[in-house]
Amino acid sequence: MSQTDCGTIRECLPDFAAGRLDDDAGNAVTAHLPTCAECRAELELIQMLLAAPPMVPAALEDQLTTAVRTSRQPTGRPWWGISAAAVAALALGIGVSTDRPEAIDGPVPDFASETGEGELWPSDDGLLAGEPSLDGLSDEALIELLEELTGEGAA
Amino acid sequence: MTDDSQGGHAVSDGELVELGRSGDHAALDGLVRRHHASAYRVAISITRRDDVAQDVVQDAFIKAFRALRDFRGDASFRTWLMTITANEARVALRKRGRWSEFAIDDAGPIAIEDPDPAEQAVTGQEASRARALLETLPEKQRLSVSLRVDEGLSFREIGDLIESTEGAARVNYFHGIRRLRELME
Repeated sequence: MSQTDCGTIRECLPDFAAGRLDDDAGNAVTAHLPTCAECRAELELIQMLLAAPPMVPAALEDQLTTAVRTSRQPTGRPWWGISAAAVAALALGIGVSTDRPEAIDGPVPDFASETGEGELWPSDDGLLAGEPSLDGLSDEALIELLEELTGEGAA
Repeated sequence: MTDDSQGGHAVSDGELVELGRSGDHAALDGLVRRHHASAYRVAISITRRDDVAQDVVQDAFIKAFRALRDFRGDASFRTWLMTITANEARVALRKRGRWSEFAIDDAGPIAIEDPDPAEQAVTGQEASRARALLETLPEKQRLSVSLRVDEGLSFREIGDLIESTEGAARVNYFHGIRRLRELME
């Protein structure tokens, strides 16, 4: 068996060890192993890794299911329509008034609640990049955001 | 419906995604059931902290489902979710300022699944040692080995997850394997 063959076989070893190879590829690995101590040693290491996988918490699935469902529940009034002024005041650091402090103190509203009926989530690529954050925005950006929010709220 | 079958045939991830887009809660639950373990293993491999990894996986699923409408199926849902999870894990590390490598004692939880008593006596200790030593490798080597061995991802998919090329993923994998063999001797 040549070194080239060894290279091909070595790439297949994880799938072979995990039973993910089809018959033809599996037979090729099986035929190669008796001829190559290096591949046998590598397979042994891979089998050891597969025998001690990271433990997945038993309660994780239920926690995730609950969290996902909760995140998709509407929270009532549109966030931006009601609390735009409060959010803008928070963002700009200018305490316009304290007549709605509860709107600022509560948990960050879920963006899922902004969607209309029949639509799961807004098509917002930014959601993939990370949580929306007001930290670090310039005054101009914050003003633009404020205008956008105000426009949304008035619509 | 259930996540595993509908009308007597197995439901694919793509079908669950389509159903999820239309608001089918059970379909989304099915995607969670199928892929939460893989997502957790990616998260724990990067963060090495169980509590952080669980938060990361939760954030990843929520973001994935929010963006489900934009998922075009260029990659499998599983690979897409794992990429989001890896990104979330890196964000979590940055937030916590935990970029430095952890000591081996800080490695994630290790378990032998379904141990056979006789076999475990012979191989269990060495298997746990191999897994613990894997945690000492540099991140990209560690992730390349873990994603190839545990998840069966291709090197192209691994490259996407570790923000490298397919070739770099392959090199990281083989370097990691070689280093592990040296450490095990």
